[in-house]
Amino acid sequence: MSAAIEVENLAKVFGGLRAVDGVTLRVAPGERRALIGPNGAGKTTLFHCVTGTQRASSGHVRLFGHDVTQLPEYRRTELGMGRTFQITNVFTELSLAENLALSIIGRDRRKWIFHRPLAAFPAVREHALAGLDAVGLESRADQPVKLLSYGERRQLELALALNTSPRVLFLDEPCAGLSPSERTRIFNMVRALPRHITVVLIEHDMDVALGLADQVTVMHRGRVIAEGTPAVVQGNTEVRDVYFGHV
Amino acid sequence: MRPYRAILWLLALAAALLAPLLVGQFWMTLITQIYIYGLLALSVDLLLGHAGLYSLCHAAFFAVAAYTTAILQVRYGQPTLIAAPAGIVAGTLLAVIYGVSVRTRGVYFILITIALGYVLWGAVYRWASFTGGDNGITNVPPPSVAGITVSSQTAYYYLVLAVVILCALGYRILIASPFGLSLRGIKASESRMRSLGYRTTLHLYAAFVISGAMASLAGVLYVYYNRFINPVAASFQISVEVSLMAIVGGSGTIIGPFLGSGIVLGLRNWVSSFFEFHAAIMGLAFIATVLWAPTGIVGFVNRLRARDATAKEKAPKEKPQ
Amino acid sequence: MDSGVLQAINGVSFAALLFLLASGFTLSFGLMRVVNMAHGAYYLLGGYIGLSITRYTGSFALGILGGGLAIIPIGYLIDRYLIRRTGENHLAQVLLTVGVAFVMGDIALKIWGGDNLKVPTPIELRGAIELPGGIIYPTYRLLLIVFGLIVSLSLWLLYRKTQIGAVVRAGVDDREIVSAVGINIDRLFVLVSALASFLAGIAGVVGGAFLTLYPGAEWEILVYALVVVIFGGLGSLEGAMIGALIVGLLDAYGRWLLPEFSYFVLFGPMAILLLLRPQGLFGREH
Repeated sequence: MSAAIEVENLAKVFGGLRAVDGVTLRVAPGERRALIGPNGAGKTTLFHCVTGTQRASSGHVRLFGHDVTQLPEYRRTELGMGRTFQITNVFTELSLAENLALSIIGRDRRKWIFHRPLAAFPAVREHALAGLDAVGLESRADQPVKLLSYGERRQLELALALNTSPRVLFLDEPCAGLSPSERTRIFNMVRALPRHITVVLIEHDMDVALGLADQVTVMHRGRVIAEGTPAVVQGNTEVRDVYFGHV
Repeated sequence: MRPYRAILWLLALAAALLAPLLVGQFWMTLITQIYIYGLLALSVDLLLGHAGLYSLCHAAFFAVAAYTTAILQVRYGQPTLIAAPAGIVAGTLLAVIYGVSVRTRGVYFILITIALGYVLWGAVYRWASFTGGDNGITNVPPPSVAGITVSSQTAYYYLVLAVVILCALGYRILIASPFGLSLRGIKASESRMRSLGYRTTLHLYAAFVISGAMASLAGVLYVYYNRFINPVAASFQISVEVSLMAIVGGSGTIIGPFLGSGIVLGLRNWVSSFFEFHAAIMGLAFIATVLWAPTGIVGFVNRLRARDATAKEKAPKEKPQ
Repeated sequence: MDSGVLQAINGVSFAALLFLLASGFTLSFGLMRVVNMAHGAYYLLGGYIGLSITRYTGSFALGILGGGLAIIPIGYLIDRYLIRRTGENHLAQVLLTVGVAFVMGDIALKIWGGDNLKVPTPIELRGAIELPGGIIYPTYRLLLIVFGLIVSLSLWLLYRKTQIGAVVRAGVDDREIVSAVGINIDRLFVLVSALASFLAGIAGVVGGAFLTLYPGAEWEILVYALVVVIFGGLGSLEGAMIGALIVGLLDAYGRWLLPEFSYFVLFGPMAILLLLRPQGLFGREH
């Protein structure tokens, strides 16, 4: 059975800096993988290279066996990759419902329709409202995103990724900057995701990361230094050194 | 649509329909010109207000369409039924070529459209053997279809009004469509759109070509209105003025570019009657708009209404009976 | 063969002029993120002022210097009181500075009128020189090439080899860090802006001596400068040099081979550039 995501010897070089330095990993379908490591370990850069936001300098990325390394970002999304951004990246000038609508029609031909108003597609609106409801934002559907708090925008960020019907979801620090109750909410949402969606998440909050993960990959200075179940990784001395500073 | 808005639109429509009966010849031709330039400004605003692209070459499509129609009618004796569509096609073809500029963004896009606009102006100006150079093309006949010639200015006013209304209705659907929303998404965050599966450059290219087609239509309307075309129509000054119209009126709306057209043309007309240096006045208008009215008339009105709304919210509760 | 070489010299001398204008424009953008479309008007006004000074004093050198210096305070005022209020909104900057250019253009029209005016050059520069190969070429344009080389070399040395140049380069790279390190970024801006204004002004005088000055000249030269920057990449001094050469040579050969279509000669390579490397040869990806 092919891996949901397979990264083979991926490297990303910026001038003299090897942000990602030969990373190999395989995520099984339906798995929940946490990607942890100190700041600057290259986790977000790895995400960028896998989802296509940036081009890798070398190496391969395979989605369910399909080599996507040369494909542009929008193609990878069409094939089933979804992601959230570390720095909230939502459409601030548009309404929440419009945000979701863009996410919903992003993968299909409807986005090209220019001769009929969006209102003529009630199914999109229903889908958008359902998507907002799932993150508890349905009551504000027609308000501009500008009025949302940081935590609410983070939720919207997740909703945008979820509504592209992804097969593999890449969450980049979904809980960053959130209050404890907001974190719990996100934690529960991710936990409740169906197993036909594979989830890879970067997270600094260890409770969230280790609580959600089946497997954990630890990165440091662009490389994978440890991999295994949460218990195994927690017991790994090298990992502890990296986090608590002997390196 | 809320009732008061519908009433406003109906009033505007009534005024537009009755205008020729109420005002003199001079005003009617000025208003016709306002409609035509308003349509051109609307085409610029599709890119500016919705896609976030600041094009300063739209005079090129306007002029190519106008010249094509003029040359076909005057030099080759072609009927309107051929010359007019050919004009629109020619301008749109230029947009298809110039659309390569959407491979850039931001300030690069602005500079490139300026340069592209100049290339076309220079070509029109220097290829005098074909375009008539400085002298342009004169004696363009009135449009004539199936034996009906629209020769009076009043009749032409109504023709332009009808075309503009049809365009505005089509535009309204366009910006409310999924495609229109995707343009606004690209303007809000192109990176997000790409990660949602959108081929953003292709969307922008499509918008550019549609915008060019609209500008071409305005060009055809213009040449029958003016009965004359010269290289000034392709100038940078026109492209810039038209973007000012979109901004001054209210970018992102349908009425905004037309309001802006009225303001800019009205201003130019008024000033040139007593002051020869109207370029300087235009310049001051640009400066004033940028510094004090960047959201335009519509934005100003919206801000007033928002202030009104928050004031009402903050008003003290009624005293208990 | 002769004509080909002649056009090459034409192209390089025009490139020298374009570099004077484009270098200031590109550095203004690189450091201050400012698109200043009034640069053409600086050229025109500097040229006219230099013209008047030369007529009055009889000295071409004074005219060049005066034309350049006169623009410095004008440029400063426009930067400080107008452009600064637009932040980094490039469309606002374009509209604002176009407006300023319109105003300046009309002021110039009022003062110097609408005729083609030529900046008078000293007798020594008016003749022609015989070059190896038997080509007779106007002295002035050859000197323009020399002048352009001197200016570009000086700028390049200043930019690449001096400490202040290093600071400017660092500022082009990352403004926040430069001010965080304690360097007075505002004073740096004023300096670069003054240099850009000065160069535009002297370009006007130097250009006005063979291209003549007339209403509209400010836009024609500006567009060429924009194409230089499109080719070379915004913010890059080397880009302005290479871009100026490309545009100068394209223009010269274009006018010679296809006089009616000379503008198109610019367009073809621009289109190719857009397809292959939209940010220009030395520009940053956006």
